Amino acid sequence: MLKDFLEGKPLRHPLHPFLVHFPIGLFILSLLLDLASLGFPSVPNLVRDAFYAMLLGIITALIAAVPGLVDYTDIRSDHPGKRTATTHLTLNLVVVGLYGINLGVRSSTLDQLKTPVAPLVLSLVGIALLSVSGYLGGRLVYDEGISVGRHKRRTPTPEDTLHLAAELGEDKRADTIVVPVPEAESLGEKETLRVQIDGQVIAIAKLDGNFYAFQEFCTHRFGPLSEGSFQDFNVQCPWHSSCFDVRTGKVTQGPAKVDLKTFKMERRDGKICIDVPRAKSRDPHDQET
Amino acid sequence: MKWLLNFLKGKWLKHPLHPIIVHVPMAMWPCALIFDLLSRWNGNVMVRLSFYAIIFGLVASLLAVPSGLVDWSGVKKEKPAWKIGLYHMILNLVVALLFAINLGLRIHTFREAIIVAGAPLALSIIGTVLLIGSAYLGGLMVYDYGISVGRMSKKKWRGIAKAGGANLPAE
Repeated sequence: MLKDFLEGKPLRHPLHPFLVHFPIGLFILSLLLDLASLGFPSVPNLVRDAFYAMLLGIITALIAAVPGLVDYTDIRSDHPGKRTATTHLTLNLVVVGLYGINLGVRSSTLDQLKTPVAPLVLSLVGIALLSVSGYLGGRLVYDEGISVGRHKRRTPTPEDTLHLAAELGEDKRADTIVVPVPEAESLGEKETLRVQIDGQVIAIAKLDGNFYAFQEFCTHRFGPLSEGSFQDFNVQCPWHSSCFDVRTGKVTQGPAKVDLKTFKMERRDGKICIDVPRAKSRDPHDQET
Repeated sequence: MKWLLNFLKGKWLKHPLHPIIVHVPMAMWPCALIFDLLSRWNGNVMVRLSFYAIIFGLVASLLAVPSGLVDWSGVKKEKPAWKIGLYHMILNLVVALLFAINLGLRIHTFREAIIVAGAPLALSIIGTVLLIGSAYLGGLMVYDYGISVGRMSKKKWRGIAKAGGANLPAE
């Protein structure tokens, strides 16, 4: 419940990107007031105003950090955006630390007409790092789709990709490999697994007690269907709401135009298995070995 | 002309421009309200700070207009996000206008005043409420409808999907 709130699910909008407007704007305002105090030392209270803008910036940054951390923990550990997110998080901690020092350094010089060099330099460095960090945060949303459409999903999303392989003794020349997926047994209704088999990335969903497997990537802009939401037998892409019938892979709602690849799931010897056609025609040497 | 459109869309930055610029008014105007309220304890220091915040927000909001218009023009009219974008734009114009009036009301008094008068304070409150509503709509366009999401990373994700054996649309 608390996690859902901090992720902004009831609002249909994540909290962190909303809250970060404040420290970003306030730290820039603080720097502008510093610069103004150098240009117009006769204007009273510019140094003081820069201090208060910074103070409120730090307070709001600390508030924004809380949902930010929750968002971070929700990113799949092998997601290409995870490293960017780690950099974003680390940089932000450095920036807040620098501003904490900055605030302490300037707290004794509030009666001066010009902001002294040391806090000014700290502010310049702070803004430079903050710009990079803010930019990375934006790339997480616009490039990686982090938190986009997340509120539509009611169940937890996969924390990792399972790398599965055919059991020993499998006929290497067969066109299809049959792979047991024991992890599927613990799936709840409308939950998913993200698996990789023979290079192919596949989402497995449990719907109405049955298992369905289909390609992980939406055919529109390749959003993550293992993080999609389900209605009846449709999976909806979190990014742009394309829908596909998981039984056939057919598009049931655009913007996607191309159908998904689907995979057969069945029980063999009591185990849940997925049938995966070999990805590509291989070098004949490979088949021999 | 095309270079200007690409500039406003943020292609050179690999990040849409509008959501970056709007951080400034989005932060400045609600904070101006906070500073207005704090002036009751901290006098002219806060009156001035609020004044500076409103100006900074206005300048940035003017810069945010063309990039916002370009992003909106890329949304198809039959999509729900188009209408949300329209409301977002109208509300933003109202909010900017309210803060411009707000600024005009305090421009002659902010140097000495130790408290913000009723009319500008009321404008700060109304402006902030409308702004949060409008910003929320802007955020819905991204987080609910995926506007600008995956636009500039399409090639990268296509490569990942291809490596993962997915069916792909024709390029």
